[in-house]
Amino acid sequence: MNRSLFMGGIPGTMSRRGFLRACAIATAAMGLPMEMVPKVAEAASDPKRPSVVWLHFQECTGCSESLLRASHPDIATLILDLISLDYHETLMAAAGKQAEEDLEKAIERGNYLLVVEGGIPLKDGGIYCKIAGKKAVDILKHAAEKAVAIIAIGTCAAYGGIQAAKPNPTGAVGVSDIIKDKPIINVPGCPPNPHNFLSTVLYYLTFKKLPPTDKFGRPLFAYGRKIHDHCERRPHFDEGRYVEQFGDVGHRLGFCLYKVGCKGPETYSNCPVIRFNDVEVWPVSVGNGCYGCTEPNFWDTMTPFHKRLPNVKIPGGKGIQASATEIGKAALGVTAAALAIHAGVGIAKRLATGSKSEE
Amino acid sequence: MAVYEKKYVWSILLRLFHWTFAPSIFTLIVTGLYIHWPWTNTWLEGSHQFTMAIMRWIHFIAGMLFTCAVIARLYLWFFGNKYERVWDFLPITGRNIKNLFSTLLYYAYLTDHHEERLGHNALAGTAYFFTILLAIVQFLTGLYLLYPEGSLFTSIGATLFGTQQVARFIHYILNWYFAWFALVHIYIVVWNDIKHPEGLISSIFDGFKFAKKEQ
Ligand code: HEM
Ligand code: SF4
Repeated sequence: MNRSLFMGGIPGTMSRRGFLRACAIATAAMGLPMEMVPKVAEAASDPKRPSVVWLHFQECTGCSESLLRASHPDIATLILDLISLDYHETLMAAAGKQAEEDLEKAIERGNYLLVVEGGIPLKDGGIYCKIAGKKAVDILKHAAEKAVAIIAIGTCAAYGGIQAAKPNPTGAVGVSDIIKDKPIINVPGCPPNPHNFLSTVLYYLTFKKLPPTDKFGRPLFAYGRKIHDHCERRPHFDEGRYVEQFGDVGHRLGFCLYKVGCKGPETYSNCPVIRFNDVEVWPVSVGNGCYGCTEPNFWDTMTPFHKRLPNVKIPGGKGIQASATEIGKAALGVTAAALAIHAGVGIAKRLATGSKSEE
Repeated sequence: MAVYEKKYVWSILLRLFHWTFAPSIFTLIVTGLYIHWPWTNTWLEGSHQFTMAIMRWIHFIAGMLFTCAVIARLYLWFFGNKYERVWDFLPITGRNIKNLFSTLLYYAYLTDHHEERLGHNALAGTAYFFTILLAIVQFLTGLYLLYPEGSLFTSIGATLFGTQQVARFIHYILNWYFAWFALVHIYIVVWNDIKHPEGLISSIFDGFKFAKKEQ
């Protein structure tokens, strides 16, 4: 698809056609019927743009990056036209003291949507992430007070993310572990698909409430179904045709990536449907299995990424990684040996005492 | 020469449970390990085998039977006959705690004393009890994997186990427990059957055991 389809005559602006198209895509992504497109478009073009405060904590800014790099449709433009971004460290012109003042002013005005990107460290009183001398956790609590709702963008803000990987040295957690009294929605992913963020915002603007979510706080319209059940390689899975090794014949033929560790069967996201960037790709389509990045604790439970199940760290061992298979095989072997010994002793005893089998 | 009499011990439902449970476990282990590592040759492009689909299909059907069997056993824990109820074999009474230790000593060839029991001995009973508990975990993780989208099992699974990956991991580890259990169980049963003329193995077919007649 062509980027110019969405663009207006003036560079960086959006045509009416592109705008409606983006609204239609978002409406479809939210799982709403097409009759809703005008309502979504109306909400999206409301001149009273909602104020948004965007906080960054322990993160790589990849979520913001992928949002801005998205060019099909020009989501960045749509997002930036849709909302009044009153505070965003990476994007705002203001810096230093002025930036802090902007934040305070926005918070004072209240009635804003709070977007959080990044995990929040709690260990040792939360000293491991500070901005302008203030602790991340304090900034978050302060900003959350007057927010109407919170969107946690990315797996870090949703569940702690990479810095929360074992042993979680900074004690990083997600927003919902700290804020309990506000509607919070998680849009996880590493990074999440910009469409899902846009659709969440549009849903909120259209219905003035957050969309229904699953147990992990993710909007059902985007995270309600398994990757595995939408995957274009699925017929190969069912027919038992697998990539055995990266670069082998099966890999070239586009077989299923299950045996090289694809986590599609345990991961909820609409990646195979919505896809990424201009070129309609997603990890599996380019030959790499899903890493399960939309799931809580994926850094711990989905690694090693190219194996089916996580390795087990034997407690008290010398830091040895042994997979469950090895433990299972070993346990079975030991048991078989024990049984053999038991049987041997029994026979020996019987031979020694003369064949006496209890009467 | 001791005189033995025939005693009815295992009800039809218990035997039905057993003969659903045992073959389903065997099937589940075989197909489950295939699902875990689909080892068959994958190079015959264009051959229409549907190996994985068939393995999963068998696994799920066996899983349903397994689940039904577990439910039947849970029922018998409370409403079965004297020998089938939990308090007959769990080490929660003095009699059973004693029996647990004496059975351990007996199995380890440290004593020849053997308490005649018509039902389970306390050691076996405890093992079966935990096996059923683990079986519940196994079918809950299995059903969570099987019905991923917004079903009752999704809520139960997500609440108890967290993400599907964690559920899958538990499901996989327990696979090895069941393999281990089957092995030990069969060994001990055969061992007991050789040592005692109570008719242990035949009892799971026809329900009768043989007890020494008081004279
Ligand atoms: C003794 C009982 C059972 C054993 C030993 C067993 C074993 C296994 C194993 C080894 C796997 C592969 C896990 C992996 O490495 O990815 C598996 C997967 C699975 N099992 Fe079981 N299982 C048992 C009972 C059940 C039950 C009761 C159900 C539910 C009806 C069930 C449903 C499933 C499902 C849905 C999968 C995933 C299949 C897929 O996503 O392709 N299992 N099982
Ligand atoms: S590539 Fe991954 S998601 Fe696709 S069918 Fe294979 S295992 Fe499932």
